[in-house]
Amino acid sequence: MRKRTHEIRDPIHTFIRVDSDEREAVDSRAVQRLRHIQQLGMSHLVYPGATHKRFEHSLGVMELAGRVFDVITRLENVRHESVRQMVPADDKLHYWRRVLRMAALFHDVGHLPFSHAAERELLPSGWDHERLTVEIIRSQEMVKVWEAMTPPLRWLDIVKLAVEPEKRKRYVEAGALPPEVKSITDWETILNELIVGDAFGVDRMDYLLRDSHHAGVAYGRFDHYRLIDTLRILPKEHEESQEPALGVEEGGLHSAEALLLARYFMYTQVYFHPVRKVYDVHLKDFLAMWLKAQHEDGKFPTAVNDHLDLTDNEVMAAILKAAREPKNAGYDAARRIVEHDHFHLLYKRNPTDAGVNRAAAEAVYEAACERFGSDNVRRDERPAEGEGPNFPVLTGDQRVESSLRISDVLLKIPPASFDFVFVPGSLFEDAEKWLRDEKPKIIQSKETEETDGSTTP
Amino acid sequence: MDRPRRDVILIRLIEALRERGSWCGATHVQKAMFFLQEMAGADTGFEFTPYKHGPFGFDLQDELTAMRADELVALQVQNPEYGPSLVPAAAANSLKQRFPKTLRKHEPLIEFVAEKLGDKKVVELERLATALYVSQEVGVGTDASTRAERVHAMKPHISVGQALEAVRTVDDWRREATKLKSE
Repeated sequence: MRKRTHEIRDPIHTFIRVDSDEREAVDSRAVQRLRHIQQLGMSHLVYPGATHKRFEHSLGVMELAGRVFDVITRLENVRHESVRQMVPADDKLHYWRRVLRMAALFHDVGHLPFSHAAERELLPSGWDHERLTVEIIRSQEMVKVWEAMTPPLRWLDIVKLAVEPEKRKRYVEAGALPPEVKSITDWETILNELIVGDAFGVDRMDYLLRDSHHAGVAYGRFDHYRLIDTLRILPKEHEESQEPALGVEEGGLHSAEALLLARYFMYTQVYFHPVRKVYDVHLKDFLAMWLKAQHEDGKFPTAVNDHLDLTDNEVMAAILKAAREPKNAGYDAARRIVEHDHFHLLYKRNPTDAGVNRAAAEAVYEAACERFGSDNVRRDERPAEGEGPNFPVLTGDQRVESSLRISDVLLKIPPASFDFVFVPGSLFEDAEKWLRDEKPKIIQSKETEETDGSTTP
Repeated sequence: MDRPRRDVILIRLIEALRERGSWCGATHVQKAMFFLQEMAGADTGFEFTPYKHGPFGFDLQDELTAMRADELVALQVQNPEYGPSLVPAAAANSLKQRFPKTLRKHEPLIEFVAEKLGDKKVVELERLATALYVSQEVGVGTDASTRAERVHAMKPHISVGQALEAVRTVDDWRREATKLKSE
């Protein structure tokens, strides 16, 4: 008899199980391509062990999505009437579990080579990796797979769960999705939050565990078994609302704190590591030159077949080739990557300077460009974003409280952000001295003051 | 509108809501900003999507988080019964002082919104904001019952009767806001 359930070994979750229908999706070109996309871009140049791929992460997200789904829909865990009314009946639950797992498996298929984040510069206007994800999920090739499943899946339902809500709205407005997905039900919102949510999204749970394992750092670990076991759908009674949200039983609060601390440490120590970020900048510089030499518009292709044909392997081969000859497009950036000759961190945003001028890093960047030439200065930034760690907690006496009322730890976790300015190693000493002397003037001079009816620089 | 000016408006909106007794959690600020932009006409440029408790600005959420990082606002648990409130923080006043013109221009609009929403709880804000969102989506000329049905379809825990009341309230407020903007 043919095997119905297939086990895949995994260093984080031990076994990941898929049935034969799901295996068709795992074996699709879109998911198999992820075997050749680095999960952390060029981070292996800083953390040599971090060579894991989007493929195993996507399998991990699917596995965790199924586990969380089973916990939050278990009869004894659905105690509130408003939540009971929202959770579908048994026959439909099986459908939604399958949709959720497929959305989790496919949530990253639109990623560019090296998972590169500079999509605004490298993709045509109106495109990002999530729109590519949508195009793949709705492609004829994949719709055949969805329709052959038992029960058959609607591609639109998979999109609703795989894509962040604000992006979905944007794609509807751009005509890339039908208007019916612009607003989704409370149930679909919970399942979407289960994958991409800020607090308990399984995407984040898997990447923190997996990235810390491969990078060789301990910051990303937390007790995800305990956390998952205590997740619940709860009405937000602490906000005087019956609207349901993903929350946690009080017994799991410390695991939730550990997850959110892990997120803070991983962002500040690994994801925002300045050398990691500057290699992203060198890669972007290379890709911009390489794409210009390949395509008229100088952008990555957005047709599904073209996208699926392009992986890290093609880009890495091009980098190695470009680094051999100064006349090659993208030579300088390619050489820096190959020879490990990255730019150095000249300035990073800090609370003292931000108190004088919130745009201090931008001011330093502009002044450095003027002083050393724009080819010799690079900037990379990510402002603090996302949701504060405010989620419902079911207390021992069955009240629903805000996590921030119960946990002082959560209230004190600062939002993570960075804003870096880099210069080549050959200019570093000069630039450092220059900045030491000029900084007070530089960060003051960019203040914008509005006086009575006029704006002065 | 650039970021510092948007932030000044947000700080002043939080102050105005609090002056009227609002608990001023993230949902209160989200919905008040939605009314300020979409009904009172402030040119703040946030993008609202149907999501938690009705229209929700993910970019507004990011901005509030960035403002927390820059000590312009802070989270504070004031009332043990409820979740955290957003309050102006250490750097808020100096930013406000730099943009008197922006503040003066938006003060009547902020006051209008704070007066209407300052005493509202999340459950009421959810109904009113969803009613405004639906009215914009299907057109304010669409009859009130049809809009109420749509509100109920989007948020099943809001009854059709509650939705109808919210649609009518929003219609009244829109007329007042139009008058205010023409003054």
